Amino acid sequence: MLESPMLLSRVPSVPHGDPADRRTISYDDYVKTGGYEALDKALGMEPKDIIEVVKAAELRGRGGAGFPAGMKWSFLPPQDGEQRFLAINADESEPATFKDQVLIAFDPHQTIEGIAICMRACQLDTAYFYIRGEYHHHRDIFENAIKEAYTHGVFGENSRMGKVNDRWPNLYLHRGAGAYICGEETALLESLEGKRGWPRIKPPFPAVSGAFGRPTIINNVETLATVPPIITNGAEWFKTHGVPRPEGAPPHVPASYGTKLFGVSGPVNKPGVFEEHLGLKLSDAIEKFCGGMMHGKKYKGAIPGGISMGVLGRDQYEAELDFDIGKKYQCLGLGTACVTVIPEDVSMVAMARNCARFYSHESCGQCTPCREGGNWLYKVLSRVEQGDGTTKDLDLLLEVAGSMGSMPGTTICGLADGANWAVRTIMNKFWDEFEAAVSKERFVSLAVVGQ
Amino acid sequence: MAWITKNSSAPIADRTDTPYLSQETKDHFEREIIPRYPTRQAATIPLLHAIQHDHNWLPVQAMEEAAEFLGIPASAVMDTATFYEEFFLQPRGKYTVWVCQSISCEIMGNTKLVDKLSDVLGISPGETTEDGRFTLMNVECIGACGGAPCALVNEKLHENLTVDNVEQILSGLD
Ligand SMILES: Cc1cc2nc3c(=O)[nH]c(=O)nc-3n(C[C@H](O)[C@H](O)[C@H](O)COP(=O)(O)O)c2cc1C
Ligand code: SF4
Ligand code: FES
Repeated sequence: MLESPMLLSRVPSVPHGDPADRRTISYDDYVKTGGYEALDKALGMEPKDIIEVVKAAELRGRGGAGFPAGMKWSFLPPQDGEQRFLAINADESEPATFKDQVLIAFDPHQTIEGIAICMRACQLDTAYFYIRGEYHHHRDIFENAIKEAYTHGVFGENSRMGKVNDRWPNLYLHRGAGAYICGEETALLESLEGKRGWPRIKPPFPAVSGAFGRPTIINNVETLATVPPIITNGAEWFKTHGVPRPEGAPPHVPASYGTKLFGVSGPVNKPGVFEEHLGLKLSDAIEKFCGGMMHGKKYKGAIPGGISMGVLGRDQYEAELDFDIGKKYQCLGLGTACVTVIPEDVSMVAMARNCARFYSHESCGQCTPCREGGNWLYKVLSRVEQGDGTTKDLDLLLEVAGSMGSMPGTTICGLADGANWAVRTIMNKFWDEFEAAVSKERFVSLAVVGQ
Repeated sequence: MAWITKNSSAPIADRTDTPYLSQETKDHFEREIIPRYPTRQAATIPLLHAIQHDHNWLPVQAMEEAAEFLGIPASAVMDTATFYEEFFLQPRGKYTVWVCQSISCEIMGNTKLVDKLSDVLGISPGETTEDGRFTLMNVECIGACGGAPCALVNEKLHENLTVDNVEQILSGLD
């Protein structure tokens, strides 16, 4: 069990405090409790040394993909005197994900400090905090925290960071307008430029040509909020948290060091967001942190980190929630580590239909397999759910889902991979329910015969 | 979304002599918002939010005015406006009720809420009541899953809704 939280050190959370006591930490309260010391320390370091510390800590992105942050930061080309950007991804739209909003609403300055350190390390002069349109209350709080940061000389003219690229550093809030796809990093940049959120074909990668065609770093809120404690306490301290590289794995395989925000929703007694070491067991998350299942309902499955990651099955209740989860438990990955618990009395066909509707609705429409495939998955799953499906429909679903995504190589971005993994893992792990749903028509499934 | 013609995105040309984009908003944007970005186009979404905040929806004329102010084609503004769920290109109710339909909310019983609200308001999701007070919308995850099922009424979040208490989110509104 985590002794002292690093992300929620000022935000009461289970088991260290009562979430009902949460309130927004102001600049003054933040500074009184050690806030902005990490920034001061970073200002005394060479930018490249800051990146080295983050690299040594093996901090991985908390936005879904788990890409090593220090490595991302080192991809930037040398400075050329022109603008370089940071885009903070606060779009948080992955279904069942509600972790960043806790940092934004209650301890905004920890994220802002992380932003400032990142700007220093990467020599970025302008940062945009891209927050999803529906976070109204959070937007007001963060806007206010930014103002405080300006008043106290973190940003703006006479910033304690000094000029970067011959400009005073700035942080601006930019509000989205309701589009899941704008969480994808290049769609976010398009949206920031005032356009529709259409993901870009990569390369070029944003580090080389991002916002407004300039070098840009994109990081998740939680990733940046993890940076100040790393700078203060050092990489070795950070690596005493979480789980090391799987045994026998070569050193270039990133480990799962550090703590993570977990958010649990669904029929548990105390749903909510808390912080724990990476590697927390799903069963512990439900029983120790969330008071167990509600009304004695039974666990049937869980979505480990947003629906795009797929599902954990009946026999995967003990799964460790870390970045290695994908390989071990046949899902796409840890994602956002926000868990949806699915009880015995909910139909998995309905769950698959719910996911398919989401992707069909949120597809940006650029790639045919995603635009059309998502819609067909939704239609066919609705038919199966209504009891009008056939066994052939199940084969069709697996075939369509399996052909969608940037990993099969048929689409521009990862939204379609989410549809692919959500639908396929739900079907594969709960095949009995799908078979039962189509049992009116008794054809033998090709998937069962093994073709 | 973008490629689905949502019923809120078929534009209505509603011409008036008074501009939708007020001088005050223009001044504010010229001073505060536009200098934040390397291009004027980047202020499109903030500007559309500002106009919609004042008028509750985005008439074609308003988008044309925005385009002229930003120095970009009107088609570019409309291209952006039609993409995003939050922008209404048709008049909507004074209050928009957004009920989350994503996974955690469905597990916790959102369908019953939508049925109940439809019943009480006499409209289906996507429609506006005749008196122009309420628009009912289904929406994907609004990031409050710990309080599922949940809904937004304009900017106010309501959590842990049930068939019995959901009507309360409509009460106390002027
Ligand atoms: C369809 C799609 C949606 C995404 N949505 C989000 C999101 O809402 N928030 C987020 O932080 N990352 C999201 N991501 C991941 C981002 O593309 C990107 O990897 C991440 O912001 C990088 O930050 P990190 O390295 O700090 O995690 C999404 C990716 C895809 C493909
Ligand atoms: S995969 Fe889907 S969301 Fe991504 S770019 Fe293609 S159509 Fe758009
Ligand atoms: S699933 Fe409804 S708020 Fe997230």
